[in-house]
Amino acid sequence: MPAALHGEVHLTDSSAESRSRALNQFLASIELKAFKIAQAALRHEDDALDAVQDAMLQLARAYGERPAEEWKPLFYRILENRIRDMQRRRTVRGRVMAWLPSRGEDDDEEPDAIAQAPSPEPQPVKRLELDEAVGALERALSALPRRQQQAFLLRTLEGLDVAETARAMGCSEGSVKTHYFRAVHTLREQLGELYL
Amino acid sequence: MSPMPEELTPFERNARVLLDESVSRIDGRTRSRLNQARQAALAAAAAHERRPFWWRSFTLMPAAGAMAAALLAAVVLWHGEPTGQSPLAEGQRPAAVEDIDLLADAEALDLMEGWDGSSFYEWAAAQNEPSGQSDG
Repeated sequence: MPAALHGEVHLTDSSAESRSRALNQFLASIELKAFKIAQAALRHEDDALDAVQDAMLQLARAYGERPAEEWKPLFYRILENRIRDMQRRRTVRGRVMAWLPSRGEDDDEEPDAIAQAPSPEPQPVKRLELDEAVGALERALSALPRRQQQAFLLRTLEGLDVAETARAMGCSEGSVKTHYFRAVHTLREQLGELYL
Repeated sequence: MSPMPEELTPFERNARVLLDESVSRIDGRTRSRLNQARQAALAAAAAHERRPFWWRSFTLMPAAGAMAAALLAAVVLWHGEPTGQSPLAEGQRPAAVEDIDLLADAEALDLMEGWDGSSFYEWAAAQNEPSGQSDG
């Protein structure tokens, strides 16, 4: 085999490897925040994990060859579609289940004794306040309309700018600004100024 | 990726701190599952890339076939649709169609202008009278 061909093959392999490395770094950098965003929307840990996993798979398969700077808005667009699919499916399932006789919720799930046991260590006051603030923010976020929640989390948690958020949400920049403004307004009304 | 260029308000800054705190509290089990999901995604992408181009094209065949079938059906329906005169003869057209024609007719509206109603009754009475009476 000619040397040039060897070189070409080697170059192609290394290019694929470097892309895989870059994709790995990218996914590692966003997976926790993506999980939080999915969890806020779906309010279910396993569903949120499934949604993030599906989004990762689709991005890697279908868009892995796209420039790396496009990955983040693309990933969140895919994740949003996945979340919407799951919410639709859940609505349909809820309608079907409403016709079936109730068995009571979580009959088969026993409470985790370790998780429910009180912590032997007394929590410092500051830590307790932080816990309460995080909990209050998460609850208020869960109650927001979906688009407002999405705009707020993509901008504040993920740090996307308006244009990137618009690409991720599939809407205009003006809509992003409106959703974001309304989200901040509602959260501030409910939580005050969040003094830390 | 560009950072947010806008100035954040204290509320937004504090919200970000709380959200970062919330992310940092994600438990080890969830982190492990996310890591596994990432590795699975990368492995799937690598396997997808290793497939020859003709195979990747072959996997798109069902979607392409469905699209072609839909296109064919659309073309057949389009050409099969009658484009000339209505199949109903002029005298067989339903009354509703004629009503629509009347309503859509701008000239009929012109005729209505200046009509006070009394002329209609005069015309109707004249229709019922025998022709001799009306003349004399």
